[in-house]
Amino acid sequence: MNREGAETFLRLLAEAQLRDQLAPDPPPWAGGPGAGRLKVQVAAQALTAVRAVDRATVEDVLADFDLAVSLRRLHGSGPRPAPTGFRGPQPAMAMRGTGSPASAAAAPPVDEPDEGTADRYVPIGLTVPFHDTDVSGELYLLSFARTRAGARLFVLWGQPALSREHGLGLQQVERFPVGLFTVTDDRGSAYELDFTHADGSAWVSQADLVPAPPDGIAWLEVAAPPGPAVRVPLNPAGGPSGGEPVAGAPEISPASLSAGEQLLIMLAEDLLLAAAQYPLAMETEPRVVTPRVLQTMGTGLGAIIAGLEAVGALPPDSPIPARLAALCAGLRIDGHEIAAAPADDLPETWLSLLTYYQRRRPDTAQVRDGFAAVAAALPELDGIRLALVGLHNTEGKTALHVLARGVRREERFGPHRLNLDFPLSFWLRDSGGRWHAARPAAWYPSDPEHSIELALVPPLPRSTAWVEVLAGGRSGEVRARLPLRWGSPP
Amino acid sequence: MTGSPNGAWFGCLPRCEAYLPCGQSRHIVRWEAGELRLLSHPDPEAELVLAALGGERTRCLEVAQAWGRHTEDLSVLAIGPRGPADEIAVSWEDVDADARASQRGGQAGSLPPAGGPRRRARPMSPALARAVAQDQQAMQDRDRATRHRNDMLSLLALGYGFQVRLIGQVAEAHAGRPEEAMPTIRPALVAAITARLAPLAEQWLGIDPDQVVVTLHRGPGWGSSELTGRGAQRRLRVSLPAGWLAQVWAAGLALTGRHLVVGVGRAGWPDARVLALRAPGAEPVPLDVHATAAGPAGAGLDVRPTAADAPHWEP
Repeated sequence: MNREGAETFLRLLAEAQLRDQLAPDPPPWAGGPGAGRLKVQVAAQALTAVRAVDRATVEDVLADFDLAVSLRRLHGSGPRPAPTGFRGPQPAMAMRGTGSPASAAAAPPVDEPDEGTADRYVPIGLTVPFHDTDVSGELYLLSFARTRAGARLFVLWGQPALSREHGLGLQQVERFPVGLFTVTDDRGSAYELDFTHADGSAWVSQADLVPAPPDGIAWLEVAAPPGPAVRVPLNPAGGPSGGEPVAGAPEISPASLSAGEQLLIMLAEDLLLAAAQYPLAMETEPRVVTPRVLQTMGTGLGAIIAGLEAVGALPPDSPIPARLAALCAGLRIDGHEIAAAPADDLPETWLSLLTYYQRRRPDTAQVRDGFAAVAAALPELDGIRLALVGLHNTEGKTALHVLARGVRREERFGPHRLNLDFPLSFWLRDSGGRWHAARPAAWYPSDPEHSIELALVPPLPRSTAWVEVLAGGRSGEVRARLPLRWGSPP
Repeated sequence: MTGSPNGAWFGCLPRCEAYLPCGQSRHIVRWEAGELRLLSHPDPEAELVLAALGGERTRCLEVAQAWGRHTEDLSVLAIGPRGPADEIAVSWEDVDADARASQRGGQAGSLPPAGGPRRRARPMSPALARAVAQDQQAMQDRDRATRHRNDMLSLLALGYGFQVRLIGQVAEAHAGRPEEAMPTIRPALVAAITARLAPLAEQWLGIDPDQVVVTLHRGPGWGSSELTGRGAQRRLRVSLPAGWLAQVWAAGLALTGRHLVVGVGRAGWPDARVLALRAPGAEPVPLDVHATAAGPAGAGLDVRPTAADAPHWEP
């Protein structure tokens, strides 16, 4: 990567922003207060993400820019105020989490060689009721996963019912009574369950089986008082080890995306997610007004593209900038300064979510709660192995749980808070034909595999009989069609 | 009249003076022939020794030290003025206010001041040790950033004449760097030349400053220039050495008599011979030029060289 070119680009971009804001009549593209700084910052984050420039250089460039702007407005003249104000004693700026070059977004994840031969993912879809003197409820078993990191159950807790005393708050109670559950296998061995929660949803737990059960066991029984035990077959009829793909094996299509193209795709998908999640009720009338958050996310896209091209991270004939311009047009985002003319067509996934955004209604009923047993391993993509281990609807939102190997949780962020720890594009198409975008919402603290909760937008209706998974990386994309076995919390 | 037959970068720059508050008095600081001089402090080195032993550190000395710290600092190029229209007005009151604010910020730090009461040291866990090390690093970074800002404010408070001379000195310091050092230096130099050439090109040709593309010229000769494309694709492509900032731009020579000056043939004040372009792509022609300067506009003790006092050169 062209490190010198990257720094030159950033310094010239900073210079152009300073010049625009120094002009007696700043041009419209100069943006409001702080827009120039934001453009430099997001371009720097993009170049850091593709490992074209190191964080220290970016800090120097931004520090110089901030001081240059601040000094010129000491007495009310010069450029309009920047949001960062006069540079305080803090040497670091809002570049938190951009990561060092060695840990940038496009960096191939470091992992040990992995044949994946011992991995097994089994969908379950069973309910274990429990009841004791303090609390009662149900535990939904989503899936069983056995990898070289261990064996675990992915479970979803139902809403617990407390005894009268506890309901009145007279006594403390453990809402999720993990100690009630016992696990045994077909050979009579007993296991402890070590529950961990994601940092987001408290309703889903990963329950590690301690010790890990040996290969070849036929079933597990999970029991809680008053019983009876629920038997979980680990060799479902016709279900191959390693998951249960239907309609054949996953399709793999090779690709050769540049680091810049992958970054732009992820930015586009974040834009779509932000748009689709924006509460309709807060929109002003008429609806042509684009929410400010989307306008902000569009700021600097042109600078990002120019920077990626300048350092050779984005081919000049790449179709992605034109698609991004078309997406911005569809979302009515202006001020993005993308030089490419909008493309005539958009990827099917983007178009589906854009249509959802444009046609959504404030009175749309939210999806019903429920969980679906689904488990499947996907082929490795960009050094990342993903396995789907469960899906559930709670409070109108859909969460898809995946087990990921080859990623690291380092809270690295790219332009506009783009999460770089999960450098894949991930979509689900429901049996009705609509696409749902997925991005990480919560991570379980585990190593070397991460359990990640992906938020699906829009939520998945419970009428969905099957889903088609589409995971895209720089080296290719994977498609797999999977059945959903919905369970029904009362 | 002075000449500079040996080609010193400051040959076309006259001396420059400013008053600054120092203790209970106002003292003169002078820049002359590439050096900063404290006229009211006959033995600054002795004063520095005394200050190191706990004596008072005067503002004149602080400014001279700040100047010395930044004569090779590339951030001066990014922060300093782009031309007379970009005058950065910093007063000594601003400098004092910023220093006070810095001190207040320092007192609010998370670690106790050195020399304060300490408890008996206990072994730290590795995680705590890492956190402490990070905290100390962050504090050092903050201190460094604070001193850098305070330095910049003090140097800018000397006025436009000193600001451009410091820029010239920094550019000259890097003009002769070996090629292996250039990858880390060139981006700042390219940006610095672009920043100062672009507004001049707008005056010269009416071209949009964003359409000026600069590369750094190395080796013999003055560089090159050409105008390419039309409309939005129009570009003025100019290759200039880093020394252009020092010898030409800092002296206020860059646009003289509707010519873009690209080099100095015979340096001198107030008369010099320069190499100048009538148009992009043309060969530079020698041009004899003469400078007039009104001198510092404001009389009295508040005098300092502003952009209005910059020399005006005419053929």
